[in-house]
Amino acid sequence: MRSVDVLVVGGGPGGCVAAWEAARCAPGASVVLLERDPAIGAPVRCAEGVSAAGVREFLEPEGAPWVSRRITKVIIVAPDDTEVPVASKDVGYVLDRTRFEPALARLAAEAGAEVLTATEATGMRRGRDGWEVAAGSERGDELWRARIVVGADGVESMVGRWAGLDTLVAAGDMESAAQYLLEGIECDPDAIYLQYSKRWAPGGYAWVFPKGVGVANVGLGIKALRGDGRNAREYLDSWVAHRFPGAGVRRFSAGAVITATTLSRTCADGVMLVGDAAHMVNPLSGAGLVNAMKAGRLAGRHAARALREGDTSAANLQRYHDEWMALLGRDHLWYHRINEAIQGLSDEVLDRLARTVNAIPDRKRTLGRVFAQALVRHPSLFPVAARFFAPRRRRKKSPPPP
Amino acid sequence: MPATAGHAVALVDHDLCDQCGLCVPLCRPGAIRLGRHGLTVDPSACDGCGKCVAPCPVGALGMSRA
Repeated sequence: MRSVDVLVVGGGPGGCVAAWEAARCAPGASVVLLERDPAIGAPVRCAEGVSAAGVREFLEPEGAPWVSRRITKVIIVAPDDTEVPVASKDVGYVLDRTRFEPALARLAAEAGAEVLTATEATGMRRGRDGWEVAAGSERGDELWRARIVVGADGVESMVGRWAGLDTLVAAGDMESAAQYLLEGIECDPDAIYLQYSKRWAPGGYAWVFPKGVGVANVGLGIKALRGDGRNAREYLDSWVAHRFPGAGVRRFSAGAVITATTLSRTCADGVMLVGDAAHMVNPLSGAGLVNAMKAGRLAGRHAARALREGDTSAANLQRYHDEWMALLGRDHLWYHRINEAIQGLSDEVLDRLARTVNAIPDRKRTLGRVFAQALVRHPSLFPVAARFFAPRRRRKKSPPPP
Repeated sequence: MPATAGHAVALVDHDLCDQCGLCVPLCRPGAIRLGRHGLTVDPSACDGCGKCVAPCPVGALGMSRA
């Protein structure tokens, strides 16, 4: 049995940053990261898009080997394929996650964390001073004793369950996703495309995220309960046949996007949950990569603080949860309501809305004018607008480091 | 509720399963696990609710006959 101060379960972006930050903030503490898969960063189950500002909080993307494509445009596509350009500046990047996460893991290792791949946490129970975590690998079964466990083990998280937290997801908050890496397709390689449509992707949206010229992550997410009985892959096949007939398929991946709001409890005694394991995806956009890193950073800091204070109780770790809620979690409550409202709109309304917005000249296309025009011409949007403008608490500034 | 009453239980088709893990947090009794050897369903823990079937992105899950 090996004893460590912090055991991070899961080597995705959240887990890597948690290990990095814990090792950085608690020099001398032992930090170990366990990754189930043989390689950090693979397999990719993600459209790989990040905002420029989000990723830059952690690493400089310009010229980095883990960037596949710089994105300068966002194009919303109506159900009838009308394209509505909505932003054109420094939007973000499509990453190569098979290189991005290894870069994060290297930073964690340089800060003093130990990264073990092909090592799966298989169970966990409360011991005298912290947790006893069972792990399996080709080396055989081993037992770890950890004062703090960070559960960054994704949508299939078990750490939360083992710690007695309620991590169950309702079917209405689960988006089923399917994605191809397509080649030989025609699209603007500087733009990401998002198509909202009940016909093509009920309860979610379809996307094109370019990895290069003629190569893109092309996928969609659906809510199974809102569909016609076909699964996500079948919906994707229909959409690809419609939009990119003749494209070459390089890879397929299935995925899950939990569009629920953050778990009401993300902490237990000696445990913090991070990223997908804590339901921290933006419920409106489905984006979760930067969110997981932000949560990982908070969890790493609070792990270091709790060790320093000699108090790893749930009550003391609760500050992690509170700071996450102030940073993004509270906004997600609002995004979740907007998402529900948007899903109530018919394809006909979305088609008309797209033409209304396109009739506004580009340079006059301010958010306020778009809203005003949309509401005047499409009164059925009022319920959506009511939710959009519903009172919400102001977001606090980023919390200071503890 | 263990499977003593002969109710249906979830079955996974390993040829179709892409190991995305979507079904795991949908399972109230925690009968489904995704480990380094793939997806497993513990039939003695499955309560036969069937909530994992429709959301599977690739149609890899079904229910056994009761």
